[in-house]
Amino acid sequence: MEVKRPWQGKMTAVERISSLLSGKPIDRVPLSLFDMSCGMGWFCARNVGYPIDSIFNDPEKSFWAQLWTQEQYGYDGSPVFGDASYGGWEFGGEIKYPETQKEQAPCVSRYPVESKEDIDRLELHDVRTAGMLPLAMQFSKMQEQFGVPITFPCGGPFTYAGNIVSMDRLCRWMIKEPALVHRLLRLCTDHILQVAQHWVDTFESERIVARDILSLEDNRIISPQQFEEFAFPYFKEVHEKVLGIGVKRFNTHICGEQNSNLPHLAQIPMGDPGIVSFGHEISLTTAIGYFGDKCVIAGNIDPVVIQTGTAQQVYELSKRCIEEAKYAPRGYILTAGCDVPPLTPPYNIYIMMKAINDFGWYNS
Amino acid sequence: MASEERTKQILEELHDAVVKFDEDKAVEWAKITVDEGVDPFLASLEGLAEGMIEVSELYNKKEYFVPELLMCADALYAGLDILKPAIKATGRKSEVKGSVVLGVVEGDVHDIGKNLVKVMFEVAGWDVYDLGKDVPIDKFVEEQIRTNSDVVGISALMTTSMLAMPELVKKLRAKNPNVRIMLGGAPLNPELAGQYGADGYAKDAGSAVDEAIRLIKMLKKEELGR
Repeated sequence: MEVKRPWQGKMTAVERISSLLSGKPIDRVPLSLFDMSCGMGWFCARNVGYPIDSIFNDPEKSFWAQLWTQEQYGYDGSPVFGDASYGGWEFGGEIKYPETQKEQAPCVSRYPVESKEDIDRLELHDVRTAGMLPLAMQFSKMQEQFGVPITFPCGGPFTYAGNIVSMDRLCRWMIKEPALVHRLLRLCTDHILQVAQHWVDTFESERIVARDILSLEDNRIISPQQFEEFAFPYFKEVHEKVLGIGVKRFNTHICGEQNSNLPHLAQIPMGDPGIVSFGHEISLTTAIGYFGDKCVIAGNIDPVVIQTGTAQQVYELSKRCIEEAKYAPRGYILTAGCDVPPLTPPYNIYIMMKAINDFGWYNS
Repeated sequence: MASEERTKQILEELHDAVVKFDEDKAVEWAKITVDEGVDPFLASLEGLAEGMIEVSELYNKKEYFVPELLMCADALYAGLDILKPAIKATGRKSEVKGSVVLGVVEGDVHDIGKNLVKVMFEVAGWDVYDLGKDVPIDKFVEEQIRTNSDVVGISALMTTSMLAMPELVKKLRAKNPNVRIMLGGAPLNPELAGQYGADGYAKDAGSAVDEAIRLIKMLKKEELGR
């Protein structure tokens, strides 16, 4: 029996993604596992022997853990920094870093807002010092130094609002105190725009990629009507204004079940092209239908299968995704549908590369 | 003592108060229940709980979402807070062993689904031992032993934290082979829940209410002699 490692191709990881975004031919479908960075970042920390929390509080360790793990497995993309609890710390609350292998990501341990009166006291903090932003800036300087895309956290405002007041409070206020929610979303939006300006003032805007996550917008949580009223206007404003100050594109993750939000989301500018990633709840065919002419499509292997499935199951899912989306008009990137769980069996990471090798080449 | 017709009206008003998430109305009609001598236990099951059953159906039909579920639960609790002392005063207790330990597994802080399940058990008059979120495995086991609860409900939203469930199920069964275990949370599915050794499974907040309602309907049949 011959054991052989998949052929890496003629392009480097950075060249491949860069060519894809420029509309030039590439050799194979890229595999990127950086899109979320919480669980995968944690996986990388364990992989290289760094403490769990270093992915989130030590930019240098985070960068190298991600880069070395990428080198080991041969997947594409480049290191990113951040997590889904953004907003809590940045607006004056506290977060708790993961300490054990049972904890996947930082979580808000004290919310900045716990009452209606707290909203009146809420203010914008200096983006040079607020929360994780100094760490993110340090990380971005490493991205600049190593010639990879420079990323920064750019929303979405509604998800950030949930991290500021807690999700159940936000849900109740959407019905009881809608004006309060709009005031909070206004603050979140203004904060995001200040962060964007700070990155544009610091780096060459052509190299900057704005990253945003829409997770609380899941239609198992809020209705399409609630999305339209509370989330959509601010999300749209952020995208229009951030692209307007020179940021080239967004890398947006649409998390979970958001099929009913897609008609609205498709109206939002993402850059030319943007990158939009999807969970397994949205089929890649549907995603291509809404976004394929303007964006690179990414997704959408179920993370539960990546963690608990057999290698064969992960391989088959990867094959299905590749065959479904390989010829998306602006291109396709194979990714996990959400955060790659940190306790994923390492072989399941490798098997996605094997699926790329077996089904992902463009010129066989 | 209220007539049959008046009792029916009161139950309908309590039901509507929950469905329309009107806390003030739930309190008002709960007070009327007590003042007019209507069976408070009947009012909690046939009024408030019935309202929550309809709310669950509205969630499944995608007419209600989590904001509405939470508001309806608030209205239910507002009414139940008025009825509870009256229920206690009747000395009436569930003839089915009705205590449940609930919690979100260690490493996870997402608790909305668990809190909605809690509502249903409380409205049915069960003793609920809510351990909160990020609960260590041994704490579940200790609490089940301490309370001798028949049911343990365990929730997880993160793919990492759900990995603690097989070990937890195993430890619970080692101490009490007959304990009934219900798992809940988006990353799970019926197959995984079965593999982990659980008896019941709920995927999200609405499904969790359904699963709890299934148990409560069983309880109602026994309690109300149907």
